[in-house]
Amino acid sequence: MRKLKIGMISFAHGHAFSYFNALNALPEVEVAGIVDEDKNRVAKITDTYGIPYYSEADELLRTGIDAVVICSENSRHAEFTIAAAKAGKHVLCEKPLGISTAEMEQMIAVCRDHGVQLMTAFPCRYIPAVVQAKEAIDRGEIGEITAIKGTNRGSMPGGWFVDKKLSGGGAVFDHTVHVMDLMRWFLGSDVREVFAYADTRFHELDIDDAGMVHVRFENGVFAVLDPSWSRSKSFPTWGDVTMEITGTKGIISIDSFAQKNEVFSDVTGKAQWSYWGDNMDEYMIRGFVDALLGGKPVPVTGEDGLKAAAVGLAAYESAQAGKPVVLD
Amino acid sequence: MKVAVVGCGTMGTVHGTDYHRMPGVELTGVCDLDRETARDLAGHLQTKAYFSFEDMMAEAEIDAVSIALPTNLHKEYVMKAADLGKHVICEKPIALTLEDAEEMIAYCQKKGVRLFIGHVVRFFPEYADLKRKLDAGVTGEPGVAHLKRVGSHPGTVKDWYNDFDKSHGVIMDMMIHDIDFARWAYGEVQEVFALNRRSEEQDYALVTLRFAGGAIANLEGHWGYPGAFATAAEFAGKAGIIRLNSRETDSLKLLRNSAAPAGVRGVQVPKSPSYQDPYYYELEHFLACIREGKEPLVSAEDALRALEIVLAALESARTGQPVRLPLKGGAKG
Repeated sequence: MRKLKIGMISFAHGHAFSYFNALNALPEVEVAGIVDEDKNRVAKITDTYGIPYYSEADELLRTGIDAVVICSENSRHAEFTIAAAKAGKHVLCEKPLGISTAEMEQMIAVCRDHGVQLMTAFPCRYIPAVVQAKEAIDRGEIGEITAIKGTNRGSMPGGWFVDKKLSGGGAVFDHTVHVMDLMRWFLGSDVREVFAYADTRFHELDIDDAGMVHVRFENGVFAVLDPSWSRSKSFPTWGDVTMEITGTKGIISIDSFAQKNEVFSDVTGKAQWSYWGDNMDEYMIRGFVDALLGGKPVPVTGEDGLKAAAVGLAAYESAQAGKPVVLD
Repeated sequence: MKVAVVGCGTMGTVHGTDYHRMPGVELTGVCDLDRETARDLAGHLQTKAYFSFEDMMAEAEIDAVSIALPTNLHKEYVMKAADLGKHVICEKPIALTLEDAEEMIAYCQKKGVRLFIGHVVRFFPEYADLKRKLDAGVTGEPGVAHLKRVGSHPGTVKDWYNDFDKSHGVIMDMMIHDIDFARWAYGEVQEVFALNRRSEEQDYALVTLRFAGGAIANLEGHWGYPGAFATAAEFAGKAGIIRLNSRETDSLKLLRNSAAPAGVRGVQVPKSPSYQDPYYYELEHFLACIREGKEPLVSAEDALRALEIVLAALESARTGQPVRLPLKGGAKG
């Protein structure tokens, strides 16, 4: 069996640990190197599994790996993706794909020019409820979709996420992309117009942690999305991904993490929801690996990443201007 | 206290039924142009049926009257009742235009009668509890809220709901409940952005309110929802979150097997039973306000403000632009 050799660039985004576990569990994958500016952050993994450590991405990219998984700060996605592409490595890049439309277009172009695939990490496409909702929509079970209300409410992540230079934006950027990608995927249509509010309401921050993003799609469907970091410390889980999809013949409601046990423990001092549903990261990683091994297109592209992130960027433009913004 | 009900449809039946069993209150008449409807309700409530407003007002002893007519008729009958010196309890929405609403309020003032508008959600125990918690500060400074109200299309039962000129659709007739509650909870609204799609079978709306204090609320309203009527709300603030969901508070479930009585087989009837319905508390409160001359929990001015937000939402849905309040050309004060 030919093993796919994958390197990981940066563990700045905590999802890297989950992606590593998913990669490490696949017999057809070898995690062949890890790059992180902070050696201690990844020492447990590199030591336990005997994985080569590099302090610089260039060192990893000179090795014979096939692909990289990038989980750096958002502001460095472009730099690492472009370097990997130039070294002939396929890329799975954490969302949001980049922090400006221009750099995301460049990432896509460089990958194309060097014959490597670029996938955006949108694991929500692998939530079983989302997958089955898409199938039901495609079968026409709710007729034509007319409107969608979504939420991707979360907890305040802190760290570099709240430093605009590194993240590119706060809650509205961080939490618009997942559900916006799902909306685009369900509708097979792109966003034409955005009207949004963005504000700081929940935490003492210099970046937005609250908002409401309204969109109109090319096909006439409208939608709203709450991307706020509004989950209090006392809330029983980190956040949610929900969608209420209204069609001419029915409704589909998605509550992605409803598969949970309720825990009431004096040890933690607060109620907690213990999610027991499938791990979406595992299935997304499998999708990336299968595409590369099978020589097929990756299931979620760089363009998908760009289109979703562009809505987040337009949301800020709209919030600033106080009126709807039309996308190019 | 002697009361009468004008209009014997869904809401007139609710008002009449609650008055009928309210201690110290006498239901002296109900009226409807449809004689059978009036007779049916009067029979149930052991009161007298009238087939014209004028006949009832001329004949029956009345201190206060409930107006439970289609919205486009509210102004005419509120003013007629005020002319006769009767206090008025009118169903929501107060009217379809700010000018009408302002005229109704001013007219009742001039005639020395009280005017109450039935924004009943403030009397629903789960919403009242939520408001008390917000006021107690358990969620801290206001942040982002969601309110939801979905159900079947009333136009399938009563034609006037389907006539946009008479009802103005789901935002005006149903979402106005949540609009009033949101304003009660988070204060005055500064800007409104709305998305609305209407067809014969469905009226679906998403309305975002931006409050003067900076908080944001998104309201979802749906006529033509394929499931049972449901409401939900969430208020997330700086210090916590409070939410309610009607689907999760059924305190009684009754499941019948196939050996159940004829005509009912294998049906589930989830219920959230209470000793009184919220309308009872609302009507009891309004009558107490008349008796004791006190200010109501929800005033006609509040109803006017809710109407203004609805009109802003309808304008936003039409133009695709956010609409700032107050609206030009109406709503003094």
